[in-house]
Amino acid sequence: MKEEHGDKHTKRYGMVIDLDKCTGCGACMVACYAENNVPFKKDETDKLDSLNWIRIFQLTNGKPYPDTEICYLPMPCQHCDGIGKHGHPPCVSVCPAIATDYDDSTGVVSQIPTRCFGCRYCMAACPYHARKFNWWDPVWPADTKKYLNPNVSTRMRGVVEKCTLCFHRYQQARDKAYLEGREEIYESEYQPACAQACPTNAITFGDLNNPDHAVFKLKNSPRAFRLLERLHTNPKVYYLSSKTWVRRAGDNYLENESRPKSNRQKIHS
Amino acid sequence: MKIDRRSFISLGVGVVAGTTLTPVPWKLMDDISIWTQNWPWTPVPKEGADTYKTSVCTLCPGGCGIQVRKIMDRAVKIDGLPEHPINRGTLCPLGLSGLQFLYGPSRVKAPMKRVGKRGEGKWQEISWDEAVSAVTKKLKELREKEKPHSVAWVAGTDKGTVPRLIGRFLTAYGSPNFIRPPSVHDAYELAVYLMQGQEGAVGFDIENADHVLSFGTGLLQGWGAPVRMLNIYGEQHDSRKIVQIETRLSDTAAKADQWVPINPGTEGALALGIAHVMIKESLYDQSFINQSVFGFEDWTDDHGTRHIGFKTLVREDYSPETVAEKTGVPKATIEKLARRFARADKPIAISGRGEGLLPGSLSECMAVHSLNALVGNINKPGGVSVTSEPEYAKWPEVNIDMTASRGMQQPRVDGAGGSKYPNARYLLHRLPEVINSAKGESPVQALFVSDANPLYTLPNTKATKAAFDRIPFLVSFSSFMDETASHSDYILPNHVFLERYEDVPTPSASVQPIIGLAKPVVRPVYNTRHVGDVVLQVAKSLGSFVEKAFPWKDYQGYLKSALKDYWDQLEEKGFVKVKNAKDFPWANRFNTATGKFEFYPSARNQPSKNDKKALPNFSPVPIEGKPEQYPLVLMPYDAMRLTSGDVGNPPFMTKTIDDTVLKGQTVFVEINPATARKIGASEGERATVATPRGRAKVRLHLFEGIAPGVIAMPKGFGHTAYSKYLAGKGVNFNDLIGPISDPLSGLNTAWGIRAKIDRA
Amino acid sequence: MNTNDQQQPVSDTASPGTGDASGKGKNGSGWIILLFFVIGLIGSLAGGWLFFPDLLYSEKQQPIDFNHKLHMGVVYEGCQSCHYFREDGSFSGIPDLYSCSGCHQYPQGTNPEEKKFIEEYVRPNKAVPWLVYSEQPDCVFFSHAAHVKGADMKCQTCHGKMGQTTHARPYQENRLTGYSRDIWGYNIARLGEPKYGLRMKMNDCAECHKKRTGHKGACFQCHQ
Repeated sequence: MKEEHGDKHTKRYGMVIDLDKCTGCGACMVACYAENNVPFKKDETDKLDSLNWIRIFQLTNGKPYPDTEICYLPMPCQHCDGIGKHGHPPCVSVCPAIATDYDDSTGVVSQIPTRCFGCRYCMAACPYHARKFNWWDPVWPADTKKYLNPNVSTRMRGVVEKCTLCFHRYQQARDKAYLEGREEIYESEYQPACAQACPTNAITFGDLNNPDHAVFKLKNSPRAFRLLERLHTNPKVYYLSSKTWVRRAGDNYLENESRPKSNRQKIHS
Repeated sequence: MKIDRRSFISLGVGVVAGTTLTPVPWKLMDDISIWTQNWPWTPVPKEGADTYKTSVCTLCPGGCGIQVRKIMDRAVKIDGLPEHPINRGTLCPLGLSGLQFLYGPSRVKAPMKRVGKRGEGKWQEISWDEAVSAVTKKLKELREKEKPHSVAWVAGTDKGTVPRLIGRFLTAYGSPNFIRPPSVHDAYELAVYLMQGQEGAVGFDIENADHVLSFGTGLLQGWGAPVRMLNIYGEQHDSRKIVQIETRLSDTAAKADQWVPINPGTEGALALGIAHVMIKESLYDQSFINQSVFGFEDWTDDHGTRHIGFKTLVREDYSPETVAEKTGVPKATIEKLARRFARADKPIAISGRGEGLLPGSLSECMAVHSLNALVGNINKPGGVSVTSEPEYAKWPEVNIDMTASRGMQQPRVDGAGGSKYPNARYLLHRLPEVINSAKGESPVQALFVSDANPLYTLPNTKATKAAFDRIPFLVSFSSFMDETASHSDYILPNHVFLERYEDVPTPSASVQPIIGLAKPVVRPVYNTRHVGDVVLQVAKSLGSFVEKAFPWKDYQGYLKSALKDYWDQLEEKGFVKVKNAKDFPWANRFNTATGKFEFYPSARNQPSKNDKKALPNFSPVPIEGKPEQYPLVLMPYDAMRLTSGDVGNPPFMTKTIDDTVLKGQTVFVEINPATARKIGASEGERATVATPRGRAKVRLHLFEGIAPGVIAMPKGFGHTAYSKYLAGKGVNFNDLIGPISDPLSGLNTAWGIRAKIDRA
Repeated sequence: MNTNDQQQPVSDTASPGTGDASGKGKNGSGWIILLFFVIGLIGSLAGGWLFFPDLLYSEKQQPIDFNHKLHMGVVYEGCQSCHYFREDGSFSGIPDLYSCSGCHQYPQGTNPEEKKFIEEYVRPNKAVPWLVYSEQPDCVFFSHAAHVKGADMKCQTCHGKMGQTTHARPYQENRLTGYSRDIWGYNIARLGEPKYGLRMKMNDCAECHKKRTGHKGACFQCHQ
């Protein structure tokens, strides 16, 4: 398994989200609900029980008016590689039911709700709050059942769910490639719903290992950072920001803490 | 041999031992676990062949192209149409929620007749024939009483074939009262009409501009065609500077290259201060000002009277020092803003607050538009231009009978175009006041509402409701159980945009004329009918003159005959870029009396005899409330995740809303921590906001981005209708504010209201 | 052994003082206990192995007795004439009514099943509620393209001689799960050659994948 990581053909699908472009419009969240059959209920303001596979957080620099700045940060599952790319994200390591695993060929961290029995260890282990628990059976009122996407199974009460990078779209793209006798799928063929919908094009998605994909270059931008890099979770979601306070907030720096040498260099070398 | 208890225990042990050696436990365990994964109440969406249908979204005036993914006969997802020039494959949260409107819980499923009291929610389902004949009966009765002008129709827009069909119907019937809900475009249109003599929508070629000076406009919060604006922002991030002048750190201000905080309501003064610096430092476009404008320099009229020009006015009254004092923007900043704006290659100044549902002050709009004239960036690529609606749907004039003719000669019920407000075209916000102050019976005897929800969107909800209660016959064509529909006598539900044909003319604030065509993507889910078809059926049952004006069998036939050559292309692609559109707005000439751009609107409908009032100037209309009683200023704000217009927020969008905006059913009011400290309030605390118009229970959110002394509240909450996923959440801002008519234009200018906070 | 003798002490089991006799008795009753144990054992073994499978499944008939062999004779592209890949790479599965009514708008012959099909389904435009032997739960993503196009496998490998059948065999439905008996396999112990095509439990997939690709595959390879 380890050798596979070094393989050129091994894909590592990931995202680069440009926070300088994100206006917090919420299109990614809604596109995700619609694509992934995420249900809704009467009150969604308790964010602890609100199912969101991608959620936009608002950061502020905390300075008084008029020096205040705000920044929106969309947060899907970070699809961690784990340190040294061992394929053991925090959640996968703790799951007693093998309901979540790390796919070596794509780098996607899966979640199989039918396998999950709802112990929520993974939620405790995830430093990003990317996992959500179904406290209730979902209800689709009126005729809203009609818009459900057949490519994504609906979930039930008592299981954990999370962003899958719209893996069903990868499966569909692969099917098409098989039919056309292609080995590889095109960059444009597999894009998650959030990246497709984003009106400011803040979300770029692709294979981080593939130099032809836009994310390959973007992830090496001087503006790039990842969330809580110091935990060595090695996420495949990169963020771009030209603002130092945003980059520092991304790794939860204390006010007077100096920036340590980049973890990224350590991990990438 | 005796069989005893132990024998049976033994038998049991044998059975257990034997069973473990059979597949029974293992197979059952497997089957039971599969069984528990397939509860009958967990839906399993049916698979099938995928198809994609192209159409146009009509949920806002943006007119984005969409492609709807279908599995068999169900629509399962709406995505942006990649080749559409407005949204280029992407979409906003509202458009993405489109299927919740189609299949959602707030739809009206059949024509309904009220059986209880108004607003009580007791309905009886009726047939379409009954519905049409009820409307016809009322209309016949009013015509027989020689009162056709007491009929009014509020339609969501005045562009496209459906509003024209309604307008034509009203003309043939004899009512001048076609009313469109207010929008910032009312002020734009009036400003360019006065200053340029041109009639039409105002387009901003932001794609080609390199500097945008926005006076509080919610460029990234739903203004114009929202997805177009977000696209431009994201894709050409580095090629354009956006300067946002706004009291609150809005999403637009946060994303702008520069945020200029300003005292609320003083945007017009800042525009003139910037003009002052540009003129003083000779930073304006000399050739344009010298050749193509009137009223810049002082001038003498035919009677020998001396008039001052814009230059003198601005130099005398709007020095940076004066303006700095009024606006709170430092003098140095004003100078810098002016220099940067003037030195940019293609600068554009935009006025109007938020997403653009408030018309605002005409003088402020003219003051900001003056900046566009100073840089000569009018009717040019990368500038501001007047675009006319694509020319289609032209039919012979309606032949009207005597009754209709007498009705048409009556003044409009909202006072637009009358002696007081000669320039205004629609003044819906005045309707409640007109009805409530009428002695005797209401001047509106029958009100029809389509694609609009005035009972929610008009300021001063209480007065609006009182006025509507005085209208004896109220018909809503809404597809949804919105506030207006739930208070009407009849609901004749229209198809949702995914079930009907309808043309969508040029997207709001766009320069490129585009016609879009919304198409039936799925068969109607419920027993609804196209409002165009209902109009035609009513016209036919009215007989005689009315009927003759409508030679079409049905709405689709009418639409086809209107779109003629465009039809095939529209059917196939979903949209058409109108030919030669690229050059046509640029070739426009100023159509004023002088043939020039007029700082001083000379001849037609001159707004004032006083020079300083006739020129673009800063004459703020004070907001309601006494500062002693109401120490704070309450302003609304618009957000992309919350619709505040006639379309209620869909459940998906409400789900995206932060818990610092809404918690449970309570909305947060933003307050500066310094202001909060003064009243001893803390984060999340419950409080009551009181204004001269009403009170509301809220929570407080301490936010550094709101100016001290100002509080802000989102628009779009406080619905009383729709479904449980929207109703009862938060407060309708319109409950707390009343309209203020601009003395110049009659348009509503109430951008805020004075308020106080009572801690709970 | 005197069985009469031992009855006394047995009835006296409560008294601890009858050491010897009770020891004898135990020996004697041991047989009975053993016998009952064996009865229980054999009975449950028989029940579990012989009767349970038949109890677990109910038998249903297909709505139309479909003749695959007959159809294979008149189509040009084998299985894929009706069970084809869509342009997007997805697999069409069981043909919809529209595909069938292309030929069967009117009877092609005198077969009573065809007549029934036209009268009960084609005319009223009603979809045929076929019972799918290989139906998988909703959480399963099975890529026909990966197997048929990617790995060049034959339909028969998994579906057996379905194409040669002249009658639709009964559909045995698991009373608990609702899925076909084909998935688990007709042999309750999942031993031996499967009766109709391959067994289709997740382990069967994993086993084959392990054999052919060296890896069982990640969850998301076959789940959605």
